[in-house]
Amino acid sequence: MSLTRRLIAAGFTDLEKSERFLAAPELAGMDQERLFSGFVRSANPDMALQSLVRLLDRIPSLAELVAGEQEEGEALFRVLGASEALAEFVMRHPENAELFHTGLRAEPGQVPARTLRASLLESVQAGSGPNPVARLTGPEAYVQLRTRYRRHLLDLAIRDLGAASPEDTMPAVGRELADLAGAALEAALAVSRAELAEGAFDAADVAAVRLAVIGMGKCGASELNYISDVDVIYVIDAPDLDESLAGRIGTAMAAGISRVINASAPEPGLWEVDANLRPEGKDGPLVRTLDSHLNYYRRWAQTWEFQALLKARAVAGDAALGRRYEDAVAPLIWSSSERDGFVESVQAMRRRVTDHIPSHEENRQIKLGKGGLRDVEFTVQLLQLVHGRIDETLRVRTTTAAIAALSEGGYIGRGDAADLDAAYRYLRVLEHRIQMVHMRRTHLMPESEPALRALSKSSAGALALVRPSAERLLETWQRTKRLVRRLHEAIFYRPLLATAANLSEAEVRLSPEAAQARLAALGYADPRGAMKHIEALTNGISRRAALQRQLLPVLLGWLGDGVDPDAGLLGFRRLSESLGDSHWFLGMIRDSSAAGERLCQILTSSRFISELLEVSPESTAWLGTDKDLQPSSFDSLWQEMRAKMSRHPRPAEAVRLIRLIRRREMLRIALADSAGLLSQEEVGRALSDNDRAAVLGTLHVAENEVYAGEEQLTDVLVVAMGRQGGREIGYGSDADVLYVHRPLPGADAQAAQGQAEKIVQLVSSLLQQPCRPAVQAERVLELDAALRPEGRQGPLVRSLDSYAGYYERWSLAWEAQALLRARPMAGDDRLGEDFLSLVDPIRYPENFAESDVREIRRIKARVESERLPRGADPSRQLKLGRGGLSDVEWLVQLLQLQHAHAYPALRTTATLPALDALAGAGFLPEQDTAVLRESWLLASRIRCANVIRGGRNPDVLPSSRRELEAVARWCGYDAGQGAVLEEDYLRITRRARGVFERWFYGYGVG
Amino acid sequence: MNRQQEFVLRTIEERDVRFVRLWFTDVVGSMKSVALAPAEVEGAFDEGLGFDGSSIEGLARIFESDMLAQPDPSTFQILPWRGDEEQTSRMFCDILTPDGQPSAADPRYVLKRQLAKAADMGFTCYTHPEIEFYLLKSDQPGPDGEPVPVDRAGYFDHVPGGVAQDFRRTAVSMLEAVGISVEFSHHEAGPGQNEIDLRYADALQTADNIMTFRTVVKEVALMTDCYATFMPKPFSDHPGSGMHTHFSLFEGDTNAFFEAGAEFQLSATARQFMAGILRHAPEFTAVTNQFVNSYKRLWGGGEAPSYLSWGHNNRSALLRVPLYKPGKGQSARIEYRGIDSAANPYLSYAVLLGAGLKGIEEGYELPPGAEDDIESLSAAERRAMGHAPLPSSLHDAIRVMEDSELVAEILGEQVFENFLRNKQADWNEYRQQVTAFELKKNLSIL
Repeated sequence: MSLTRRLIAAGFTDLEKSERFLAAPELAGMDQERLFSGFVRSANPDMALQSLVRLLDRIPSLAELVAGEQEEGEALFRVLGASEALAEFVMRHPENAELFHTGLRAEPGQVPARTLRASLLESVQAGSGPNPVARLTGPEAYVQLRTRYRRHLLDLAIRDLGAASPEDTMPAVGRELADLAGAALEAALAVSRAELAEGAFDAADVAAVRLAVIGMGKCGASELNYISDVDVIYVIDAPDLDESLAGRIGTAMAAGISRVINASAPEPGLWEVDANLRPEGKDGPLVRTLDSHLNYYRRWAQTWEFQALLKARAVAGDAALGRRYEDAVAPLIWSSSERDGFVESVQAMRRRVTDHIPSHEENRQIKLGKGGLRDVEFTVQLLQLVHGRIDETLRVRTTTAAIAALSEGGYIGRGDAADLDAAYRYLRVLEHRIQMVHMRRTHLMPESEPALRALSKSSAGALALVRPSAERLLETWQRTKRLVRRLHEAIFYRPLLATAANLSEAEVRLSPEAAQARLAALGYADPRGAMKHIEALTNGISRRAALQRQLLPVLLGWLGDGVDPDAGLLGFRRLSESLGDSHWFLGMIRDSSAAGERLCQILTSSRFISELLEVSPESTAWLGTDKDLQPSSFDSLWQEMRAKMSRHPRPAEAVRLIRLIRRREMLRIALADSAGLLSQEEVGRALSDNDRAAVLGTLHVAENEVYAGEEQLTDVLVVAMGRQGGREIGYGSDADVLYVHRPLPGADAQAAQGQAEKIVQLVSSLLQQPCRPAVQAERVLELDAALRPEGRQGPLVRSLDSYAGYYERWSLAWEAQALLRARPMAGDDRLGEDFLSLVDPIRYPENFAESDVREIRRIKARVESERLPRGADPSRQLKLGRGGLSDVEWLVQLLQLQHAHAYPALRTTATLPALDALAGAGFLPEQDTAVLRESWLLASRIRCANVIRGGRNPDVLPSSRRELEAVARWCGYDAGQGAVLEEDYLRITRRARGVFERWFYGYGVG
Repeated sequence: MNRQQEFVLRTIEERDVRFVRLWFTDVVGSMKSVALAPAEVEGAFDEGLGFDGSSIEGLARIFESDMLAQPDPSTFQILPWRGDEEQTSRMFCDILTPDGQPSAADPRYVLKRQLAKAADMGFTCYTHPEIEFYLLKSDQPGPDGEPVPVDRAGYFDHVPGGVAQDFRRTAVSMLEAVGISVEFSHHEAGPGQNEIDLRYADALQTADNIMTFRTVVKEVALMTDCYATFMPKPFSDHPGSGMHTHFSLFEGDTNAFFEAGAEFQLSATARQFMAGILRHAPEFTAVTNQFVNSYKRLWGGGEAPSYLSWGHNNRSALLRVPLYKPGKGQSARIEYRGIDSAANPYLSYAVLLGAGLKGIEEGYELPPGAEDDIESLSAAERRAMGHAPLPSSLHDAIRVMEDSELVAEILGEQVFENFLRNKQADWNEYRQQVTAFELKKNLSIL
């Protein structure tokens, strides 16, 4: 076999470089067979080879190991292939090479904590009794301590790398690493004491200060990494000393520990000693007495600090003091779930878990990414806090032990627990192996192919026979992440179902009280009621119940994140019940998590949509695909209605079908809106088109009905006015209209007028009358013709000639203003064109007199003072209030009346395009139109939100926090931002009012 | 129930306290008080005390009148002037909406929000007010229509055995009894005028202390048969009552205003802070000088600071950089001399701090300092040197404030609007008055 093939077979990557190293004089005369059978065991043979050559140069005696029996050299090759940092350590301190003579065992065993403690204390010449003092100090002590620490680390790495199953060994390795860190802290404390006694303080005083080092985080939990910051908290006790002196000595002592461990010295530092989890964090004093700690935790501590205390363990220093600390904080930890704000802070923490990761690292994160270690730890700790209050068996520190205890106590299913445990161990082994290479604190998956391959091999266990493969590693990792993600979402809720459904599954025994405690912790205001709904949804042997048992764990989580989880759950139950036994719906939720999440969000936030969904549950299917949520165009709606009308000639039946289509489309638009697929302008257009199609269809039905009994005498036209004219209505708005007719040539004017009246009245009543069977949950479309000439006193419908005569004689400024929005909506096209030709000179007058301008201003001022509801706060009125919709619209319309004749670009019925045109033509500065646009859009959005959430008064910005919260979410704000929306709205409308007053009333202009 | 709340309940029990007063402040800065029986205190801690906010100036929207007052147990104090017979105590309250959120209309919350902003930038804000007030014989004017002062002493005069002496001694000991340390007290320039300096403390505590201080001073005055007034300008011919306030920002333990060797030892941060205050002063004058009468002080001559200027120990400047002993970098500070004694301290400190922080955020340039007595310059000279005037009346001040995005942001939209509405109403009422001045000057000749 050629050398090249041989290198490839052994897993080398950089062939050229490795060939050069193989030819190094240090390897001359070595048996190639032996050498290669060694490299096969190295996770990264290139690295192992280079380290080997350099080591042989320093320690020629190692050649024996390479040349000896295969088992003899195994430890050497495994370590060199897995860790460059450890190889360098041996080069610095060759005496440690003797450890390579260790034989490997499948069961790595464990070095007891007291052995480690004695060894490290011995390294700095301290006794091993309580509160020892070192005889070595200064850099010499630092070097001795660190070298001894690394010797133990090397020893552990050798045993770990030789283990048959790293996942099985992981907890023991983590424990030994934590013990080793504890031993290092102990020895560092002994040195620090000695240094203080030599230096600034009196030796007797130093001896009188007792100090306990409390390990936090992974160190406290006895599941430390190969390299990471070691989190600690310091407690002192010195009853015989003056308090401030004791504090100064304690602080110096603690600072000394950090120095001994990590200050620069000939042997590099070990790790950061991080005391930032202490009370008040960075700003707090470094050491405190036990009482001072307890005072802080009782008075000031945040929920997350109790979660951190879950891991607190005395790891070094005065053992009795440490034990007292542990005993004293335990009750605080376990009662923390009863604190105010626990639920909110848990939810905030859940969100934080997934936020705040730099995006370029997100896909490489083993710890913080979705499905990472943090997800597992968070889930486990939360369950411990919620249930550990009652059940003392859950009060353990290690994650693996906690999973076992939760499973044993029936708080999570046995299968889930096994999966969670396996995933956690796997991820931790990856983390260990990645860190070991350079002994660097990292939680990122490597990127290069060789590094991935090496990781695949080093994480697989010493006896594994599979070929290392980067691809397979990534595949397994992704699978594990998905598993964790799924478990993380479902694990809180799954056992609730077992309790609710009285399943006989032996594994889960969550008591009703425990179930309610958990629901309350996850945001349900009425856990008892929620339990009832869950029971109803999951009981029984139907396929539906079985599917729901499977789905609810995840759905409950999504509902819990919503504005009103309890309402959402009730809505889901109703929806499910109205669907009866058809379970495509549940299947869709199972297969499309986007659909499920959207549905949950809607059910918790919108009564309007929930009610519509309940009567047409099949529409839920649209949530599955964005395509189905696209609003239908006017043409396709009209086509569909025409088809229905031709098949169902009876008017009542045809109109009922039209109204059903309208209701269906309104729901579709609302769903698309909730999914964020439509802008506010698109919503307005889609809703307007929907109503237009309904009016057009109904007009046809009415005409057919009337012409069936008598000869056609006239053409009828419905003209949209107001917001319908501008295609910018909201959910459930009335349609403002004018009715126009034109008698056919030769028809009797009187009779034609009668026929037209009959038709328009029929249109109105067909649209508004109750149908049989009823169209449930429909927002009836009301046609409002109040803007017609002479208002409610005038005839409902006029002929085109009558309009012409009227406008010639009377035409008032406000009528011209109203006509700005006129847009033919349904009826004869030619008549529509003629009507527009008639009104264009009125609404776009060549000369809009100054007296007319004054009249418009006067009317607006009167509307402001008279039309607002009595006692209402104008700054919260969306429509007529300060800087609201009507301020923006009136300003636009006044400028249109004045200038649209000369500038045809201003001739539009819609508000926002008109604003753009006004800015384009230079009538308003860009920055002012931007202010008006923002205000108009936000007010429109809030009105929609009010209808959607089912509020009583759509025209008011709500003031209760809960309602504000719901509105804010609909407007695209994050959870908890209700007050921000309120402040934003008030600010935006105040500015809009300023712009309005300047240009409409002419305050401060010129 | 936390430790502090327990402490309050225990003290109530042990000292046999009969009444607990809950104190809070309306938008104008008047103290409001609700008395509770001791048995009701526990409930107030848990759920807050419901009250009708619509009856309080500027506190609630008209249609949303239910509010909650939640006592802050760390402010619990026994009130000394009530004597030992019927022990009375007080706590300041935070105002909450019915769903337990801080009410945007609570002045205390406005200041808290600004302090939180400072904290986000790494600063703690300390203030130290010098509060002037007049001691009068009664709250009724004398026969000449002017208020009657208790004595006629001048600056630093010692008046043996005077009412003022007794008054000050009692006031100081009572203030100490409610935990307010008083730094210095001396007689100001006007007859019956007094000044008491509160020791420096963080801005929220100072504002609470000012509210307490006013109450104590009024109570003690009543006990010594006189009347104390914080009205900005009770006499046409004597100086008004200001509330000069010293500000300093700390970053951890170090004074962020101090920089050894710089001009006046002022750090860049201090200069930007001052620039912020000077630039925005006209916008927030309606807050720091909120009454029609306030402008009689601002424009009444004497040492009143009516122009935008700063100086090193210049007694006519709006913003003064006081001298301090060399080597005392920790006491570096600036003094704003515009506020008057009748201002709402929460809102005033919020706007000043907010304007200063704005200056730091945007890195404003500080214009050159003034060395002359600004008052003695001609109008043209002042204009040339960039000393623009503060608003000359409440009406002007309202107009300027209406256009201020900064003040709206600091106060929050709701307080901003309520405040302006309230002040506009004040002005409208004043405008209808026919004053003694007009009658005296015009009646006989027209």
